[in-house]
Amino acid sequence: MGKGSQSRVLQAINVKGWAFVLLVTALLEAVTRAGLISEYFPPPTEIFGALFGGIVSGEISGQVGATLLAYAEGLALATVLAVFVGVLMGTFRTFDNAVKVVVELLRPVPAVSLIPLAILLFGLGYGMRVSVIAFAAFWPILINTYYGVRGIDPVAIDTARNFGLSRAAILWRVTLPSALPSIATGFRTSAAIALVLTITAELIAGNSGIGYYVAQTEQAAQLPEMYAGILFAGILGYALNVLFRKIEGKALFWGAGYRNRAT
Amino acid sequence: MKLTKVKDNAIGFLTLALVLIIWELFARQAQSFYFPPFSTILATFYQDWFSPLFAEHAVPSLVRMFIGYLIASVLGVVIGVLIGSYRGLFETLDPFFEFLRAIPPPIIIPVGLLLLGIGDTMKITVIVFGVFWPVLLNSADGARSISQERLDTARNFGLGRLEAIRRVVFPSALPMIFTGLRVGLALALIMVVISEMIGSTNGLGYYILDAQRTFAVPQMFGGILLLGILGYGLNNLFLLLEARVLSWHHGQAGQQS
Repeated sequence: MGKGSQSRVLQAINVKGWAFVLLVTALLEAVTRAGLISEYFPPPTEIFGALFGGIVSGEISGQVGATLLAYAEGLALATVLAVFVGVLMGTFRTFDNAVKVVVELLRPVPAVSLIPLAILLFGLGYGMRVSVIAFAAFWPILINTYYGVRGIDPVAIDTARNFGLSRAAILWRVTLPSALPSIATGFRTSAAIALVLTITAELIAGNSGIGYYVAQTEQAAQLPEMYAGILFAGILGYALNVLFRKIEGKALFWGAGYRNRAT
Repeated sequence: MKLTKVKDNAIGFLTLALVLIIWELFARQAQSFYFPPFSTILATFYQDWFSPLFAEHAVPSLVRMFIGYLIASVLGVVIGVLIGSYRGLFETLDPFFEFLRAIPPPIIIPVGLLLLGIGDTMKITVIVFGVFWPVLLNSADGARSISQERLDTARNFGLGRLEAIRRVVFPSALPMIFTGLRVGLALALIMVVISEMIGSTNGLGYYILDAQRTFAVPQMFGGILLLGILGYGLNNLFLLLEARVLSWHHGQAGQQS
């Protein structure tokens, strides 16, 4: 999240860290095999076996598509809308004032509380999930786009105008690139929230996806399968986080370079 | 200056009023089952939440959330600052923690159901799980980013290691700690609502989902409205607290530069 995270990504493989992960896994294996803790914790090897089996047979891997599709569509929808509204708010003072109160009132509504409304409107399927994911992911991108646009040096805009650039050209060549690092930061926050909402919607009222798989295996008391689903969700979350950090790093790098050249 | 500010806000509230009026008129016109008129929702809201229902559903949600948040915050800050203060320890634990943090917290609710049933213990536990990781990792990051100069100065003044952590590292890490606590607060609200939707017989999450299942649409909207108000209030309370605690920090940081 903070300053440390970037250097963490750049670090070569953390041998000590992975050795610790192995140690914990081995310890869990020994403790569960010996029957020292609750029967609700199967040994890690059984979980890995269930994970491997689930991926090969399609029980788990077949659900990834549904999860990722709803996730990507909700996030994409939120990004497009939020950048659009955010740029408008950041550019036009009157528009900003007009919508600010409504935005401030809608933003704190927890997206999970809208799941029942979404079920009512869209049923249990895909549209319900996409709509709540988009609602949750909308706000961080909106706020960051807004501050990104507001923070642009007015001189840059004036200069572009003096060079005879049209409004659309200024938007495309000055406003959006300058706000990009800020937008990217908002995007990474939204990406994390969107995954939480995707899983939640699948858990509560899904008919497909990783969350649905975990809820189903829990009800069927298939413990190794359930933990395998959770492990898989963790791997997915980790992979997405690494991916979006890379994207943000690119945008921030660009932003920092831009700022250095400007000053 | 002040007058334009008043005017700016007036436009905002005018828009809000316009939205609500359009909602009201359309809902009356369309007679849509899914979107009752806003006046109906307000009336239901008043009826529901200025009644014993508040004690029955809103209070348990708030109590669970508060207890879970408090436990996770204390644990997360203490462990996070300690881990962040010892570089070797941090590097050893980092991949493990990063992975646990990457698990979307709601997915562990089924585990909670299996192990702990549908009681308060389950809900508080899953809230703790959701809040703990962002608080821990941000606290650790905050502790790690302290300048070596400050640490050396503290050590030269004869502070022991733990004393230096308490008096120097912890205050320096406060801005990052608050970042983690803010993320945690949002997650606490999410987790309490979801855990009540999945396994509960009371609480706001249960109330909203139950209203939907029985097609009590105005009640459902009323519950969402209440959650929105609670979210708004809690967030502002947090910002107030943060400003108060960190005003000292901002002042100090300003003097230094």
